[in-house]
Amino acid sequence: MTTVPTTQTAHHRPRKPFPLGRLLAYLALTLVILISLFPIWIVLKTALTGSRSLFTEAASLWPSEPTLINFKRVLGLVSLEEAQAAGGSGSAVNFLAAMKNSVIFTGLIVLGQTFFSAMAAYAFARLKFPGRDAIFTLFLVAMMIPGIVLFIPNFITIKNLGWLNTIPGMVAPFILMTPFAVFFLRQFFLSLPRETEEAAFLDGAGPFTIFWRITLPMSQGPLATLAILTAIGMWNEFFWPFLIAKDEASFTLPVALQVFKSQTPQGVPDWTGLMAGTFVAAIPVFLLLVFLGRRVVESLAFSGTK
Amino acid sequence: MKKLLTLTAALCTLSSTASAATTLQYWLWDANQQPAYQQCAVNFTKKNPDITVKITQKGWNDYWTGLTTGFVSGTAPDVFTNHLAYFPEFARNNQLVDINPLIKRDKVATNIYYPGLAQLWTKDGKRYGLPKDFDTVAIFYNADLLAKAGLKPADLANLTWNPKDGGTWQRTIARLTLDKQGNNGLSPKFNKKQVAQYGYMTPYGAGFNGQTEWAFYTATTGWKHNNGLFGTKYNYDDPRFAQTIQWLADLNLKHGLIPSFQEVQASGGDSLFRAGKAVMVTNGSWMISDYTSKLPFKVGIAPLPKGPDGTRKSMFNGLADSIWVGSKNQDAAWKWVKYLASAECQNVVGRTGVVLPAIPSATNLAVAAHKARGVDSSVFVNQAKAKGGTFLFPITDAAAQVNDIMTSTMQKVFLGQAKAADVLGDANAKVNALFK
Repeated sequence: MTTVPTTQTAHHRPRKPFPLGRLLAYLALTLVILISLFPIWIVLKTALTGSRSLFTEAASLWPSEPTLINFKRVLGLVSLEEAQAAGGSGSAVNFLAAMKNSVIFTGLIVLGQTFFSAMAAYAFARLKFPGRDAIFTLFLVAMMIPGIVLFIPNFITIKNLGWLNTIPGMVAPFILMTPFAVFFLRQFFLSLPRETEEAAFLDGAGPFTIFWRITLPMSQGPLATLAILTAIGMWNEFFWPFLIAKDEASFTLPVALQVFKSQTPQGVPDWTGLMAGTFVAAIPVFLLLVFLGRRVVESLAFSGTK
Repeated sequence: MKKLLTLTAALCTLSSTASAATTLQYWLWDANQQPAYQQCAVNFTKKNPDITVKITQKGWNDYWTGLTTGFVSGTAPDVFTNHLAYFPEFARNNQLVDINPLIKRDKVATNIYYPGLAQLWTKDGKRYGLPKDFDTVAIFYNADLLAKAGLKPADLANLTWNPKDGGTWQRTIARLTLDKQGNNGLSPKFNKKQVAQYGYMTPYGAGFNGQTEWAFYTATTGWKHNNGLFGTKYNYDDPRFAQTIQWLADLNLKHGLIPSFQEVQASGGDSLFRAGKAVMVTNGSWMISDYTSKLPFKVGIAPLPKGPDGTRKSMFNGLADSIWVGSKNQDAAWKWVKYLASAECQNVVGRTGVVLPAIPSATNLAVAAHKARGVDSSVFVNQAKAKGGTFLFPITDAAAQVNDIMTSTMQKVFLGQAKAADVLGDANAKVNALFK
């Protein structure tokens, strides 16, 4: 008797119309996931390959003799002799120091850029002052200027300030704001209901209180989105820290990993070391997305319905 | 290892006790050489307790960007490894210290190096560096694949080349090239569209000097890059040059015996050789350790093929250490440069075998170090010693512009978009116009 309900449901299932569309959707999704994961897999596979067999096994999907030596090399766990015996280059990365620099560099910029951009965006969205729209137009124009044009004047400024090799020098061009962040947040603030703020105003709150206690808490999603996008961008930023950090002690991860890149014009990069370094360097960003990714999706969906 | 630890420990105590210590910044680009020079730095500090040397390594491409921005911003290293392709521009912009007065003052001998090397670093009576190493070019081959084809190393020892039919060199390349059915390049059944293994590969490196790509062919036809050191008249329009470049391009385009330009670009440099898909590659002596110790097959070294003039000719090139004019530690910098160019440091570098030092006795140590590992590197040294066996790197002003013009022109030839004879004349006119 007890088996009857199960057989019944078992009979029920195939009777439902076969969801072909759903199946196709899942197939497409799986395909896209595989395609996006493939490069990451190649990075990991290369990192696990001994450098001797790197080129002969380039086409296979799994190293014939997987090894952790490359990760050990990157993290400085083996001596120079062992690293070279394993086919590595004679250079070493101070991984922890670079990681620390990267965390400080990225952290400061994420905090600064999110907060200051929010203040600017709020001013553009809600405050009334002469020339506001003209200034905002200028902002939009600034978005059109390619970053590369700004490198030289920025570099000269930093040099004259004596900030080469320092954290202030590295974060200076990024920490205050980017036109994109201001634009992005302004659009969101404009879409917030005015009534809440007006009520707070009637209760005697000034602009800063309203900004701090009402607008910011209501904008957690977009702020998180902005913070995550900034974090990813800055974590991978190479050129500016490379220009400013001349000294090994101030290298960020992307700059430090350069020692594995081309060594002599005819030589090949230390691919296995580079890939191991890249993989370890990508882990923090990966974790960030795992823990905060949902927020981003939510906020995008949220602002999308507005 | 233990020795290194004690030395490092000694260095630490030294640097912490020395009160008026100078720290010199020294840059190089080759990570493989870094450990050897680190050892030199440790020994140097032992002799000069008030000076420590901090070595920074940057990959080739970023190295020159880093140096140039360093010159502008005042953060360049005190001393750095310099290259013949770059020093004329640095010298012209007054970034390098003329060390001739210092050499005279300290009575430093400049004749202890292989002949010609020290001279490369002089211009208009000024001297911008002391030689640290030299390099010549030879053939590296995959000994396993060679044996499989039934050839012996001795079969590669006396090859001849000419730009018309490629001589025994091209026939050997053809014999070592296999299509997917196993037919070699000499067989009429050979399918050049489905090659499984190439007999030879060139990284194309279509630059202005062709050091490891074509200069050792063109030189044996009697062709010269230009009219001497700091030349102002180039000869890229010479038919002998065009014939040679066309022959090299046709090895792929016509015969399918070497990988195509696109294939090499996609896989990068000498990757096909490293992957065991090309049997031979021509490259410089600085690759000896890399090729012979880091690949999963045995790599042998053979001399270059003899050309139409009956000789083999290799470009002779070398690096030197230069002092930046902005260095605040000029005295210490000079001491370090002097030390780097001395037999003492070059012996240390020689024993590691990582490059061939500029002083012959130190070179012998490098050759012995290779021999102990079962590698015969004497080919490179013999090439340097042979009378007329070398010609100098074409040092030039405006190297970057010459390189740009020649790179884009030669790419067209290698891609089969143009015939060498049709486009090299125009390119040469553009190059020569740079010096008017």
